[in-house]
Amino acid sequence: MIEQFFEGLSMALRIDTFVMMALGLFGGMLVGALPGFTTLMAMAILLPISFFLDPLVGIPFLLGIYKGGMFGGSIPAILVSMPGTGAAVATSRDGYALTKQGKSRKALDMALFASVFGDTASDIFTILMIFPIAVLVMQFGPPELFAVLLMSLIIIAVTSGSNPLKALIMMMLGLWLSFIGTDPLGGVERFTFGLFELKSGIPLLPMLIGVFAIPEIASVVMRNEKTRQLAAVMGERLTLTELRRCFRTIGRSTVIGTSIGIIPGLGQVVAAMMGYSAAKNASETPEKFGQGELEGVAAAEAANNSVNGPTMVPLLTLGIPGDNVTAILLGAFVAQGLRPGPQLFDEQGATVFAILIAMIFGNIMFLAIGYLSIPLFSRIVTIKVSVLIPLVIMFAFAGAFVFRSDSVDLLMLVVFGIFGIVAKAARFDVMPMVMGFILGPPLEYAFGQTVAMTNGDMFGFFLGERWGAATVLALCPVFGYLLWKRMQSVNTA
Amino acid sequence: MAELRRTPENYFTLTCAVLGLIAFFCIGWLVATPKVLFGRSLTAIPPSLFPQLVLGTLSILSFALAWRIHRSPPDESIPSGIYGVGRGAAFFGVMTFYALTMTPFGFFISSALSMAAMSVLTGNRTIWQIALLCLIAPPLLYLAATRLLAVSLPELNAIELFYARLLPW
Repeated sequence: MIEQFFEGLSMALRIDTFVMMALGLFGGMLVGALPGFTTLMAMAILLPISFFLDPLVGIPFLLGIYKGGMFGGSIPAILVSMPGTGAAVATSRDGYALTKQGKSRKALDMALFASVFGDTASDIFTILMIFPIAVLVMQFGPPELFAVLLMSLIIIAVTSGSNPLKALIMMMLGLWLSFIGTDPLGGVERFTFGLFELKSGIPLLPMLIGVFAIPEIASVVMRNEKTRQLAAVMGERLTLTELRRCFRTIGRSTVIGTSIGIIPGLGQVVAAMMGYSAAKNASETPEKFGQGELEGVAAAEAANNSVNGPTMVPLLTLGIPGDNVTAILLGAFVAQGLRPGPQLFDEQGATVFAILIAMIFGNIMFLAIGYLSIPLFSRIVTIKVSVLIPLVIMFAFAGAFVFRSDSVDLLMLVVFGIFGIVAKAARFDVMPMVMGFILGPPLEYAFGQTVAMTNGDMFGFFLGERWGAATVLALCPVFGYLLWKRMQSVNTA
Repeated sequence: MAELRRTPENYFTLTCAVLGLIAFFCIGWLVATPKVLFGRSLTAIPPSLFPQLVLGTLSILSFALAWRIHRSPPDESIPSGIYGVGRGAAFFGVMTFYALTMTPFGFFISSALSMAAMSVLTGNRTIWQIALLCLIAPPLLYLAATRLLAVSLPELNAIELFYARLLPW
């Protein structure tokens, strides 16, 4: 492991990696800062670019967009009370109040420092923990993998939005879509309706762009928006005294975010809300939260950014994406020939370490780029939607086509775009559907292998030999219910 | 019996329920017969088992949600329809046109036409701006993709030859 770490360190020290990561950071901040346009959309559309770059360039590029976008989402949250990401909702509570007091610069500086600290600390934790976890995961067999995947799906369902019933329905839809094509166990065709184009199943990339990016763009068109505007950045910079005052809060939120990041499905929104709630509960002046308290901004931003690193742990060790962003990263890894799972560390451990180390270097660049970019928003920025939308659509279509050079993928993109906008109008979140689609084939495969191993005696097998997996399966509904109750209390706080 | 609320939420839920139910009962037509070798199945589970579990669960959950929506009081804050349906239909019309024409017309022509339509749909009425956008952006992206990233995008031979004569690489 140590040799792989040092080999990864030398692999990560490349100019093109840093350049692309810097581009990704700046691009992510810019996209995250545009209200209505999301980091997720940018990652989905730019994902195909990463396919044709070296893994140590393409994946850090996407990670740069991800990190930059998380901070970028806090910019409209602070300046105009319009969070660019769900995780920035908590930031807007105190951030916008500070803007109204003429202290938007302080709020943005605090958001930047808290984000970088939380992100860096969690990335270091990821590097230290990922290999021992991978060694543990290598002991997993099909029953354990099935149990963990099922638990992940349940966690994703109960933490997605306020209605787990809707999330479960979308998850079932995603699982159903994953069945289209060829059965992973027996190689028979399912739900293809005799169409040759469906024999290899539904491709992931057009679906990701279709459900994540197209509905956002369609909403802008349907609302007939003409421009995107950001308010001016004002006030003095953050002082060292003010930053020192928030160290404990930042540390607490980092621990919260790191713990949440490891569990698939919880994500930045939960982390930000829990970090904010914990800071408010621990504060001597909780009544100031929501009125322009810098600790509120620090808590939310440190928590939501410290999810970034640990969320790679279930992704890389088990191939389980924790949220929609890591679902896109999974697509990038697979396209680069890096199939996430325990064997990844055996076969390409140095590459994995190089990517994780690049994330840490990226945080240093994040600090510099963010610090220098904030003054850019000091002027009122007006972006014409009639120029931006056609460009984004062109990128989306080009990206969907280059994936398999198949024009059917473009029609898939349109179909999933329509599905996405209908789901949005019906107030159904598409994230559980995407998770179900991604995890469906390994879930079914693990289930089939497990049944084969039992030789007809399911109970005897689980209770006698695989009691660990049996325990996880038995605890799934209990854990899901408890987590759902906890989520409800966090949402109402 | 109270009337069914005509909301997108209701329509979506009932569609999922009905589709799931139909697929569940028609699974024999939708899933090919499993392969058998010397009288024994090649897999431990039939290929229709997991789909049936999922489809059954989907139908039950969807009917449960539909019943719950029906029983709960209407939420006045939720809009009863989709805002801007006409613009949305036009948007998806342009996207469908783009998807169908990219291969036969080539990247440049299909992109230029679609981008022009999209720009007009989003309120641009300045001819030179639209022309500049449609004539410059597609070639730039095409050249970046094909020359820098070495990926293929569909293009007409005449236009590809024009690029080849224009650029030394």
